[in-house]
Amino acid sequence: MSMVEFRKVTKRFGSVVVLNEVDLKIDNGEVVVLIGPSGSGKSTLLRCINALEEIDGGDLIVDGISVKAGRSQVRLIRQEAGMVFQQFNLFPQMTALENVAFGPRRVRGASRAEAFAQARELLAKVGLADRGDHYPSELSGGQQQRVAIARALAIKPKLMLFDEPTSALDPELRHEVLMVMQSLAEEGMTMVVVTHEMAFARKVGTRLIFMENGKITVDGDPATLLANTANPRLREFLQYVN
Amino acid sequence: MDFDWSVIVDAMPSLLNGARLTILITLAGLAGGLVVGFIAGLMRAYGNALLNGIAFAYIELIRGTPIVVQVMFIYFALPVLADIRINPMSAAITAIIVNAGAYIAEIVRGSFLSVHKGLREAGLALGLPMWKVLLYIIGPVAFRRMIPPLGNQFIVSLKDTSLFIVIGVGELTRQGQEIMAANFRAVEIWTAVAIFYLIMTGTLTLILRVTEKRMRML
Repeated sequence: MSMVEFRKVTKRFGSVVVLNEVDLKIDNGEVVVLIGPSGSGKSTLLRCINALEEIDGGDLIVDGISVKAGRSQVRLIRQEAGMVFQQFNLFPQMTALENVAFGPRRVRGASRAEAFAQARELLAKVGLADRGDHYPSELSGGQQQRVAIARALAIKPKLMLFDEPTSALDPELRHEVLMVMQSLAEEGMTMVVVTHEMAFARKVGTRLIFMENGKITVDGDPATLLANTANPRLREFLQYVN
Repeated sequence: MDFDWSVIVDAMPSLLNGARLTILITLAGLAGGLVVGFIAGLMRAYGNALLNGIAFAYIELIRGTPIVVQVMFIYFALPVLADIRINPMSAAITAIIVNAGAYIAEIVRGSFLSVHKGLREAGLALGLPMWKVLLYIIGPVAFRRMIPPLGNQFIVSLKDTSLFIVIGVGELTRQGQEIMAANFRAVEIWTAVAIFYLIMTGTLTLILRVTEKRMRML
């Protein structure tokens, strides 16, 4: 069974069709890299998976549950799909450690001690063991994004969604975030990543998807596609991002 | 003219009594007003069309009429309309609750809506229901932003209690008025009354300042 299955999914913002009858299956363990020009619908596609955007047509099944199955079912989907945002969105009133422990405590109902012990492990995993007591405002962008990844991992998701996770970062800070994402992929995590990082796509991605005007127009192996693609629009796009 | 200190000394017990009532009305009224304001504000910010409409109508009704009219209505008109007997003190407290509640609702709405929507999405993406997102994530951030405007409202409401002179509540202004009617010492009495108000609003300001200092503004 697929982890994520889009069945003719349509999404509109007013009269603008952002996703046009998209079909897509993502299997366990895949690292799917989504690229495309701005406005092509890649972020929207990602946000439909955990129902941050409601779909207008078709159906979308995540880990056996439809995003249209109602609020409580949507919450179950969200607990299986961790999300990392472009702007990090850490909770500013909580320390790094409290941010990471928040999900287990308030979503999974873990005890305080349990949640904090796990949060310490996760912060160590993203290389921030010594930053647990810092507030988000006291951390660099790269550190904040790594905390955000740890926070998403803390609820033990089966799937991770990344919405341009390095776009708000300086070049030298991107690397530390990409390294964490790479090690996550190596552990076998299923990932969907909207990004412009072509080196990451080539090295870590198992699948590259190119979107244009709400449709998937290219879908294939990243190394092959990036080396030589038949699609003229993708070739043009790659010239701009590289 | 000469300022006769003995007038103030003689008036002190009555003025203190009045100040005590002013504080009582303010505290009870603002406690209730905070509850009403939070509920109405959240209805405005996150409610469906019906809840939003109800809260909107309440806020417009209260903001659009003077507080003196409101308290007169509660004290004189309600007994006629609904056969509810109400003593002046309860009418005064109710008036502050209803009045401050409407203004606080807008403060609450504004503060909650000013919180970056990414925080809401981050909370929802963890699989939390909306009420928990509001309680644990948006609420604490919004609360810090509410303190300055709430301070304004607290002070306004405290001073508004002086208007309840019209229904005969023995608060500070009423006490001043009564003493003045007996001894005609306007300068001494109104100076003393003004200073009492300054002490009370000053204390409020101080408390709010300390609260704000102890919280990290986000």
